[in-house]
Amino acid sequence: MTPDNDLITGRCPLATAVYNARNPEMLCSSSRVCWAWCLLLLFTQFARASDWRRPEAQLAEKIAAVTGPGVVALEVANRSSIGTSEADQIRRGLIASLASSGVQISEADPVAATVRVTLSESLQNYVWVAEILPKKSDASVAMVSTPRPDSAVNPQPALPLTLHATQLVSQPDPILDAAILEGNPRRMVVLGENAVNVYEFTDGHWIAGRSLAINHDRPLPRDVRGRVVLRKDHLFDAYLPGLICRSTNASPLELNCSRSDDPWPLQTEDFGVSDFFAPTRNFFTGALVPGIGQQKSAPAFYSAAALPRGKSALWIFAGVDGQVHLLDGMNDKIEANIRWGSDLAGVHAACRQDWQVLAISAESGTNDSVQAFEFADREPAAVSALLQLNGNITALWTARAGDSATAVIRDSETGNYEAVQLTLTCGQ
Amino acid sequence: MKRCSSLLLAASSLWLTVVSVPARAESRPHYGGTLRIAMKEAPQTLDPAAAGVPASVSRLVFETLVALDDRGCPQPLLATSWQSDPGSQRWRLFIRAGVSFHDSTPLDSATVAASLRNSNPQWKVSAASDMVMIETESAAPDLPAELALARNSIVRRSDGKLSGTGPFAIAQWDAGKHAVLAANEQYWASRPFLDSVQVDFGKNDHEQMLSLDLGKADVIEVAPESIHRARAENRIVMTSESEELMALVFAHDPGSEDETHARNALALSIDTAAVNNVVLQGGGEPSGALLPNWISGYAFVFSGAGSMNRARQERAQSKHVPAWTLGFDASDAVARVIAERVLLNARDVGITLQLTNTGNSDLRLVRIPLASSDPHLALAELAKALQLPQPHFENETTADLYSAEKVLLQTHRVIPLLQLRRAVALRSNVHDGSMPPDGIWSLSNVWLSGEKP
Repeated sequence: MTPDNDLITGRCPLATAVYNARNPEMLCSSSRVCWAWCLLLLFTQFARASDWRRPEAQLAEKIAAVTGPGVVALEVANRSSIGTSEADQIRRGLIASLASSGVQISEADPVAATVRVTLSESLQNYVWVAEILPKKSDASVAMVSTPRPDSAVNPQPALPLTLHATQLVSQPDPILDAAILEGNPRRMVVLGENAVNVYEFTDGHWIAGRSLAINHDRPLPRDVRGRVVLRKDHLFDAYLPGLICRSTNASPLELNCSRSDDPWPLQTEDFGVSDFFAPTRNFFTGALVPGIGQQKSAPAFYSAAALPRGKSALWIFAGVDGQVHLLDGMNDKIEANIRWGSDLAGVHAACRQDWQVLAISAESGTNDSVQAFEFADREPAAVSALLQLNGNITALWTARAGDSATAVIRDSETGNYEAVQLTLTCGQ
Repeated sequence: MKRCSSLLLAASSLWLTVVSVPARAESRPHYGGTLRIAMKEAPQTLDPAAAGVPASVSRLVFETLVALDDRGCPQPLLATSWQSDPGSQRWRLFIRAGVSFHDSTPLDSATVAASLRNSNPQWKVSAASDMVMIETESAAPDLPAELALARNSIVRRSDGKLSGTGPFAIAQWDAGKHAVLAANEQYWASRPFLDSVQVDFGKNDHEQMLSLDLGKADVIEVAPESIHRARAENRIVMTSESEELMALVFAHDPGSEDETHARNALALSIDTAAVNNVVLQGGGEPSGALLPNWISGYAFVFSGAGSMNRARQERAQSKHVPAWTLGFDASDAVARVIAERVLLNARDVGITLQLTNTGNSDLRLVRIPLASSDPHLALAELAKALQLPQPHFENETTADLYSAEKVLLQTHRVIPLLQLRRAVALRSNVHDGSMPPDGIWSLSNVWLSGEKP
């Protein structure tokens, strides 16, 4: 019952020890090389997973080596994550491979042996095991293994506004914010934890350009947040906890980062209100600069949205305490009945007089959905249908002009981070 | 590396969404709060090099050079990279810069080397600038995976005090009873969300469940036999893959062909399906293999199904069947019940067993946790724990692993019975806890809702 060595192995190929071989960290010293490497790896993994001819041939060869040419009975059981139709294909492929080795399959006696093949799997591999039960000798086992692969918009009618999501960029690394710089060419800056990546809009696509590194001299907090604010005197500032990076205005684009606890602008610059972001946490402290009317502080909060009311504004805060707070310059009113998530953003649809607030629905299941509300009489009223997303929102910021918001969604299927532009249009 | 690791992390997080308790998707993690854990173990030390230290707790304080990802593949932790010679006997590991122990001492290669020498006296470990060199007596292709074992955590020992580099530091320690771990504000991989973790040790199953119900604990262990009931009571339960082997282990090799037949008869007589269904309430899986199928892929080949007819045939081939004493852990009520069932099954085929609590028994009913999700290392560690000969691997293939496991089983020193799962129950305010396949629950990303920051 000793199997031959399987010819295909799949044990952690990147970490296999070879003198002067480098581990993944070393292999990926250049992002382009790394990307290409990862794509190649994924491609080969998927190619292997979907093309079973090689393991079929290998297993057939091993079975034939034990049984010799003749007639055998074949049973195939699938106890792996391979689908039923694919398992049937494998069975047919195995029969064909056995036939080419001189082994014919029959369900009727007399047969020289019964071969019980189990399609199984381990943490790393598909493991196919053939238990060969000859009529006239001892049972034996043969096995082969092959690596396992690593693993929209849906508006509803009947509300005045329609919420649209337009994908800007998708990548495996976390995105904290993204902002579009209008001009010729159009450019986009994408803020990550360790770099600002600049894209150019060419032939209808965002093409990756320069990457401007952000160096940290202390660890970033968990659930790290960051925001890009477009400026008039230079291109943009990037805010990260305890750090501000200022871009140059001219080519070549450079980034100068320094430690800073300066307050971050809330909503857009035009509202003139900022707040201090806790440098080792994931929330704003609530110390308003200069304040909202007579109110100089708000409860600690994750996000805020402002809805202009004549010369003042109603500010809505998603508090760290899980409550929605309304600040009008005089009072802090807790709206206990509103069950929104931690991220809010104010936007203004061109066809509406009032501003809207985009909020994440607390009714969502695994994936988030987002919806636009207006505040008439300080009560939120939905003005768009729920927009179901393909993952959870990890960031939501008002864009420069206030006519859209940038959301970052972590795709629940791929794990990728997607920056999308959320806009509101009138009618359907 | 960032992009590659992100792909791995993406895969990892996809897995987490399947097995972890989903946090409120619409809420950001909260900083702050104390997570209260109750557990059965009562360790006398948190030194990861000592036996019996719960890895779920020690890994909060101490870190290893290497960590295994959700596929059992080595990934950088305190070491950023590693290399070996072609024979896999001499290894160089580069130490991460900018890491400090909880006592503020910077992590350096000399401290790493001293720590590894302490846990592995058989290795030659030397330090040089930003790396350590490890030389083993024989080829060690699985050394990176071995370095991920909790016992190889990097510990700074000074004046009888232990210091680690992990997300939490020891704030209070009352041996065997209580521990308080405080968030490491300077943690190199970001401060944890929790302010502290409080662990009450030595609590039996009933006390743990009571603590959870009374709101005195946020996380408790759930014994395999209680998983079904806990779920039926609508508790939030996270379970691992099978990660603990329950087996009978003989103290000696069989002395004769007769005894080999008798041992085979005993193995075939035990109705493991009934044990699993009745005693363990389905909390395990009958198994004739040492490694669970999720890690090897071939465990079903070693059938664990009992057969009275075949047991009697084997028994018939043994002219003289000795009367054996069967030892078990007297503090483990379930082990007693299972030992009694084994005794009854054995009697049905004419084998006499006598239960004993003394240390000197002919065979013992044991529970051996899976040490690693790396299959070769897991088998080697199982063999060590069962006091079997070390398996010999010709290469890294699954077929070779199968051959090595088969050799161990053919010693007739061990009769695998069941693979057991590990489980924990949580209060609903605990978010983003995860239970990797190896059953060592991870708390570094856990946060509590309803806590002020």
